[in-house]
Amino acid sequence: MSGLSELKLGFIPLTDCAPLAAAQALGFFEEEGLAVELVREVSWATIRDKVAVGALDGAHMLAPMVLAAGGEVLAPLALNRNGSAITVSSALAGAVADGGAAALAELVAARRASGRGLLTFAVVFPHSMHNFFLRDWLARGGVDPDRDVRIVVIPPPRMVERMRAGEVDGFCVGAPWNAVAEAEGVGRMLITASQFWPGGPDKVLGVTASFAERRPDDLLACLRAVIRGAAWADDPANRDELIALLAREDRVGAPPAAVARALESEIIFHRGAAGLPRREHGLWFLAQMLRWGQLDPAIDSQVLVDQVYRPDLYRDAALSLGLVEALALADPASPLPA
Amino acid sequence: MRVLVIDPDTARAALVAQGLEGVQPLEVRRSAVYDEAEVLAFAPDVVVIAAESPDRDTLDSLKESGQGRPVVMFVDRSEPGLAEQAVRAGVAAYVVDGLAPNRVRSILDVAMSRFALTQQLRGDLAKAKADLESRKTVERAKGLLMKERGLDEDGAYRLLRKLAMDRGKPIGAVAADLLAFAGVLKGDAS
Repeated sequence: MSGLSELKLGFIPLTDCAPLAAAQALGFFEEEGLAVELVREVSWATIRDKVAVGALDGAHMLAPMVLAAGGEVLAPLALNRNGSAITVSSALAGAVADGGAAALAELVAARRASGRGLLTFAVVFPHSMHNFFLRDWLARGGVDPDRDVRIVVIPPPRMVERMRAGEVDGFCVGAPWNAVAEAEGVGRMLITASQFWPGGPDKVLGVTASFAERRPDDLLACLRAVIRGAAWADDPANRDELIALLAREDRVGAPPAAVARALESEIIFHRGAAGLPRREHGLWFLAQMLRWGQLDPAIDSQVLVDQVYRPDLYRDAALSLGLVEALALADPASPLPA
Repeated sequence: MRVLVIDPDTARAALVAQGLEGVQPLEVRRSAVYDEAEVLAFAPDVVVIAAESPDRDTLDSLKESGQGRPVVMFVDRSEPGLAEQAVRAGVAAYVVDGLAPNRVRSILDVAMSRFALTQQLRGDLAKAKADLESRKTVERAKGLLMKERGLDEDGAYRLLRKLAMDRGKPIGAVAADLLAFAGVLKGDAS
């Protein structure tokens, strides 16, 4: 035995696994006294189940998925802000042009009038920022996400091939898969998450409440290592090294040029206390879950958010690293979608 | 029985087919990935999928849309508790890797009956909720008639029942109409 505490963390092949991948590659976990096994998982359902039974101590998770676990899983750290985008097939992009969702609404009406079938959009999971981003964007343009289009679930690494096969007309997924679709000439990005909601929330590090209770020191060490990983990943000086790391087949497994795109201007890992899991983000997610019928209206959102979102744990770790900006109460980015 | 095995590995599909030997009629198909068009065309009675398949998210989302099918999952025995958790999350049953083929059939049977039971319970719950709503509406309509027409409870109910029979509509629907019109007359609908 190395004297290090063992920890098993899961991730999905997406750019926003960067803080975990960097902490591992640069030895931050070991420096914090942890021997971490980073496990690449292929589905969010498997991540959810493995975290629930303790087969994973923690994981890269969709924030609404953590809330849907009803308090059994905590969010002590946000892995990133922004990073997803809505991409439509090249054919649909030609028809919609720069008109956005409003142009899409006209197209939907025209298709209905001529008796053609519904357009199909894909998201990565029902409880996801991607689902809520897509639905809100559609609804604002006058498209009813439940009636006017069909929304299906497809795992992130499969999005591009499904669009190429003509099975989906559009999707909302995290980086780098939108850039991959563009690079391969399959689709075109219409709107990015940072245009929808600058600095808006995305993935979190989820850990079980029982792990946080049983192993508080290991959790603190883990948060310190991941915060250091996020700071490293956010630093432009490390960009090339990060791209090479993420492009690896055992991480994201995508072309370096596609990985690079969202890192240039879209995704934020660390600056401006990006890692702080903000309760207003949790409340926005719960409001969306309620809006789209995923949440029992009897559930007290305030209580659930306070149970799940743990900015106190993030602040303890950040302050122990001397990062005083974690004390900032106001969010420098806009608190709600534009 | 039509069985769809979603697994890039051919060995498990072979195990399923072997375990179901003797079932008539039987069609076991294997597909490396979940393909919606294929699933719709084939209409399997049960879907068998590896726990490590990315298509689990797709199958997981279908159970909420009502187009779900019984799903049986292959799990690795090295992850204790995972299979039980998957069942809690909606998988109908699971097969532990390395299982003897002679148990496959009973597991698929359990999965299908469990799924049918869940669907029935879901239907029953929806019906119970609707019945309760209808009863509440009838109570309120009765109250309205008692107040406006000076009827006793029994008389109000008989009037509602007569209205329902005359119009050939369920009593709950007639009660709802009555309440809606009463609202309009009082001016609270725009």
